[in-house]
Amino acid sequence: MSKKYTDEYEVGYNPRLVMEEAARCLLCHDAPCSLSCPAGTDPAKFIRSVRFRNFKGAAETVRVNNILGAICARVCPTERYCQQGCSRSGIDKPIDIGRIQRFVTDFEDATKMKVLEAKPSVGKKVAVVGSGPSGLSVAANLALSGVEVTIFEKEARAGGYLRNGIPEYRLPNEIVDKEIARIKKLGVKIETSHPVESLDSLKKEFDAVVVAVGMSKGKMLPMFDGKRNVKIAVDFLKMVKRKKGEVKLPDNILVVGGGDVAMDVVTTLKLLGVKQVTDVVYETFEEFKASKKELQGAQEQGVTIIDGYVPVSVKGKTVKFAHRNIQSELKIKADMIILAVGQYTEAAMLGLEVNKKQEVVEDNYKVKDNVFVVGDIAHGEKTVVYGVRSGKEVAALVKKSLGVK
Amino acid sequence: MVKKDLSIKFLGVNFPNPFCLSSSPVGNDYDMCKKAYDVGWGGVVFKTIGPKSYVINEVSPRFDAVTKEAEPFVGFKNMEQIAEHSLEENLRDLARLKKEYPNQVLIASIMGNSEETWEDLARKVTEAGADMIEMNLSCPQMTSHAMGSDVGTNPELCKKYCQAVKRGSKLPMMAKMTPNITDMVPVAKACLEGGADGIAAINTIKSICNIDLDKKIGLPIVNGKSSISGYSGKAVKPVALRFIQQMRVAMPKLEISGIGGIETWEDAAEFILVGARTLQVTTAIMQYGYRIVEDMKNGLMHYMEEQHVNHLEELVGKANKNIIPAEELDRDYIVYPSIDDNKCVGCGRCYISCYDGAHQAMEWNEEKRRPTCNHDKCVGCHLCALVCPVGAISKGEIVLKKTAKPGRNIKDIRL
Repeated sequence: MSKKYTDEYEVGYNPRLVMEEAARCLLCHDAPCSLSCPAGTDPAKFIRSVRFRNFKGAAETVRVNNILGAICARVCPTERYCQQGCSRSGIDKPIDIGRIQRFVTDFEDATKMKVLEAKPSVGKKVAVVGSGPSGLSVAANLALSGVEVTIFEKEARAGGYLRNGIPEYRLPNEIVDKEIARIKKLGVKIETSHPVESLDSLKKEFDAVVVAVGMSKGKMLPMFDGKRNVKIAVDFLKMVKRKKGEVKLPDNILVVGGGDVAMDVVTTLKLLGVKQVTDVVYETFEEFKASKKELQGAQEQGVTIIDGYVPVSVKGKTVKFAHRNIQSELKIKADMIILAVGQYTEAAMLGLEVNKKQEVVEDNYKVKDNVFVVGDIAHGEKTVVYGVRSGKEVAALVKKSLGVK
Repeated sequence: MVKKDLSIKFLGVNFPNPFCLSSSPVGNDYDMCKKAYDVGWGGVVFKTIGPKSYVINEVSPRFDAVTKEAEPFVGFKNMEQIAEHSLEENLRDLARLKKEYPNQVLIASIMGNSEETWEDLARKVTEAGADMIEMNLSCPQMTSHAMGSDVGTNPELCKKYCQAVKRGSKLPMMAKMTPNITDMVPVAKACLEGGADGIAAINTIKSICNIDLDKKIGLPIVNGKSSISGYSGKAVKPVALRFIQQMRVAMPKLEISGIGGIETWEDAAEFILVGARTLQVTTAIMQYGYRIVEDMKNGLMHYMEEQHVNHLEELVGKANKNIIPAEELDRDYIVYPSIDDNKCVGCGRCYISCYDGAHQAMEWNEEKRRPTCNHDKCVGCHLCALVCPVGAISKGEIVLKKTAKPGRNIKDIRL
């Protein structure tokens, strides 16, 4: 095991430090942080509970509002959501809400709290296709109301991108396992190694079907297609995570792309000991897509990041780039090239209409009678916390259509 | 670099600066006091020396602290009694300290359990070379009811013991008061009548700091039980200042050594302003070490410079006349809060506190996230200013109440 890769990069708080951070919170009236959490996790309330030393109450708030509380605590780009409006920024810097949430959910785990309890069965059955964040969220929220939910997952283990994509140093699989175990305790059945090829039989067997297949496939750029030593970012991250970082890599790797996936790839490479990691990004720093925190993490690891360039040709191991706005060319020779240039969905294989943005054509998550989509393939932002949110929203819609209270 | 003369005379003894260790674990033996002198403390009150017959046997553990959020010591609880070393060892340490540090002040704290032992201890510490005696009439955790704060609440007994000490020694002597009493003045007066030259105040407050919620035992736990014992630290400063003020009002010339939660030069200056001439510290030393005296001395010098004062003497008791009975305060006006929108960070704490804890005068603009004060409802209590995390609320417009005495002029009001 590569310890640098498997150990959580950010150190958690101890009770003293979490109090120190909670004491910085201004305990706002009508708090901006809570107003801007997509999942409605209500940070103002759980931070106030911490401040008044009610750690268990804090854990209840997180868990009731966010079924993936321990995961969001680690992976959420908080600077874009809750921390963005933090009033404390007017004094110095925002409260580290993610880390407080991590303390709270770790406390929940350490004290073996059981916050949620599912209602008895109401005799309705729902199938969920895919066990990523939005699939888990919709399943758990339905199960809480007494709906019998079965998740169908094509991989051998549940979790989708949480398990296969986000690197171990940001989100250990142990945390994913624990969150899934909590959801299973609510009565959700997960059929793993069970790919779904058509929705027809599910529609017959279940009262409703929710498709949560995400955008699990990484895009290939035509000029790189069929070239040796070219890898797709999501496949690479999956392989590294499965092998717990035990992989052999060359010393000089080029990454193309500037989203969160690209940041995960470059940071992973550095943590695995790759000497030269060069990341060429289409966007300029002004337009950067990745979370600032992840960008900063990559820079701290010593990744060379070059912004504003598009690849124009490949010859052997050398890739030629041109700047988007100025007259400038760039040639980079590397032993391996990893493409992190976006993902696409396989939802069309299920007979669903997919648009240019790789979203399924839907109306408020509804595709047709009792078929819904959720998560990345539905409208909205493509983050875990949005998956939790759309899971909640779709659960409410499904319940309404099935007449479940 | 600021340089000011911090020396001050107290009970006729010249202190190089007013900062002293108080009689406690921080002045337990020669080595500790030596280190304190070397770091720059002006005086040491050596840990209270008791009669030979009284055997000290301490518990383990013996401290506890009240915390708030991440603040580890808001208040501190201590169960130690008086010096554990033998009388001979203590006297030897006193003699050695005085010999090696002739210019710094050495105060012997003593505690007898009878007139004879008080007199005898006074004689012995005088022979050992102490500059001054402090009578410990106030330790709240003694295992004998003939000693400590049980004595200190009894004016007759205090007077008798003061007389005994004065029979044993001609050294200047201060009596250390217990705050576990409604009015300290009668005891202080009795001590002065008995021959005390000054007063030290306050000793610790009887307390229970915390209860272990699982075990249902106070802290610290000593084999499944706990006891009430003395509370000190920042939390007790207001109580100390109040007792000192009351004694100074009753006895304006009284010389006092101030004790109770002194941690910074500002605390020190406050004690001086209510009438203390010297200052004694323990809890802050236990938490941070003797080195804290550096910033207390330097900070006090800067304060003196700001106040255009060359001798500490000039500051002693300067606040006494400005602290008056509540019935004598001016009740003719209201001063409204003034809100600085640029400093405001929009947290809304003033709004919450005004609504839930005051008079619902603060109004909240949800969109702009800014408060405004409704003068029709505002009573001028300034709770809003106290809860504001950024100091955006200050004192603004003054208006006379309808009930104000005729002929009042707003210009005469000092805020």
